[in-house]
Amino acid sequence: MQALREKRTEFERQALVHTDALYGCAYRLTRNARDAEDLVQDSLLRAYRFWDSFEQDSNCKAWLLRIVTNTFINEYQRKKRSREVLDAATAEQDTTDGVLMHADANERQSPERALLDRSVSDDVQRALEALPDDFRTAVVLCDVQGLSYKEIADIMQTPVGTVMSRLFRGRKLLAAALRDFALAEGYVREGAQQPKATAVELPDDNKAIDLEKYRATKAREGSR
Amino acid sequence: MSLCQSIDTLAMAFLDDELVPEERRELELHLLDCAGCRVHVDAERADLSLVRKALVAPPAPDMVKARIARALDVADREEVRAERQRSISIVGRWFLPGAAMLAAAAAIVAFVAVRPAEPSRSGAVAKEVVRQQTRTMPLEVQGAGTGPWLRENFAPIEPPKFRAPQLDIQLLGARLTAVSGHNAAQLRYLVTSGKNQFTLTAVLIDDLRNDELSGGTPIKFADRTLHVHDANGMPAVTYVDEHHMGYAFASERLTAQELLELVVSSDLIGRAQQGR
Repeated sequence: MQALREKRTEFERQALVHTDALYGCAYRLTRNARDAEDLVQDSLLRAYRFWDSFEQDSNCKAWLLRIVTNTFINEYQRKKRSREVLDAATAEQDTTDGVLMHADANERQSPERALLDRSVSDDVQRALEALPDDFRTAVVLCDVQGLSYKEIADIMQTPVGTVMSRLFRGRKLLAAALRDFALAEGYVREGAQQPKATAVELPDDNKAIDLEKYRATKAREGSR
Repeated sequence: MSLCQSIDTLAMAFLDDELVPEERRELELHLLDCAGCRVHVDAERADLSLVRKALVAPPAPDMVKARIARALDVADREEVRAERQRSISIVGRWFLPGAAMLAAAAAIVAFVAVRPAEPSRSGAVAKEVVRQQTRTMPLEVQGAGTGPWLRENFAPIEPPKFRAPQLDIQLLGARLTAVSGHNAAQLRYLVTSGKNQFTLTAVLIDDLRNDELSGGTPIKFADRTLHVHDANGMPAVTYVDEHHMGYAFASERLTAQELLELVVSSDLIGRAQQGR
């Protein structure tokens, strides 16, 4: 009983202080408040259950974010319909072609409904929606949580180069989508034409975004 | 390799503060010379700022924090319940009067302190009780009629009642028996703890002398000495009251300490305390 109380106190002191950060991450990963609430609660309960396995003195926030990310990938993504999985796969395929056509959000078919639904926050969530999951996860962990490439690589269990590459592409797509929505905002007010889909230039494969590769190449050249 | 070729990588790592100081200095020097890369880094900086500003997320609503606290409370309660199912522990949970409670706690602390590494040899009475607990003999009386039956057929006493609030302990029934040549009554209880159910045997032994409770670990409780036995791995607790009535308890599902706690919580002890 005493041990349980101590565990709870420790957990509150070390883990629950990150609730806001975890919620922010979940909010951007799930893209809606209700799923974010569930995801944060599930993740914290899981963390509490496995609190014994948390290595004291290591980075608690990174440990918790790993749980949030894994829970999101394992539980929440599995629930998605196969159609969406297919869409994501298509999106990833498109990006490897070097250029991704960012389609305007299909939901905004009627201007009336669009007017009701619109807010800047919705735009951000919708822009995130258009990203492949891996891209979105990398961007959220870096730009919402401020984690380093190495920490993100540990969480996503991929090399740092892959993290950089996803981060680079994810940010590019996101920035383009956000600019599109800003244009669309103007359209709603002024009654102008729907904005055209924006072509986003992405670097091709032989121009990989990888700091480690850059360092290795540089070291090789230096020793020549 | 010119820096221009790797400007995508370098600009990103630069803006994310991932460059080592030397790489950083090298890039900064290069940016002074190269207008193209300077424009590139500025554009990247603008993109990054746009993305980061857009992604600022709201804090968790208070409702969510309250929900999480409640969920943790539920998890704690489940943990306590699971713990109890693994090992029933009733320390500090019985409803004895204050002073008796203190004495009981002292007795249990004493038991824990003196518990020998090797279980001491148990006495004949304890062995007999354990034997009766392990064999399920047919009961002669069951349920509510057990008390009157006991007074009529055995001795003018009430069956012991246990006071462990989180356990449901029901008297199933009784049968007459004999222990070491003394008339005895075997009472069988059904203990329910969460999803677990198991039986507890109490044997009441008439006209027993204190010295017949040989063996076990003596534990002083109030003015009485309880004996805690380990008979072939099963714990038993025995004692003799002022009317030379012997009581012996056994249950294979309890540890010696838990059984001791249960016995100390019984109304027999309370009765003895009030009688003085």
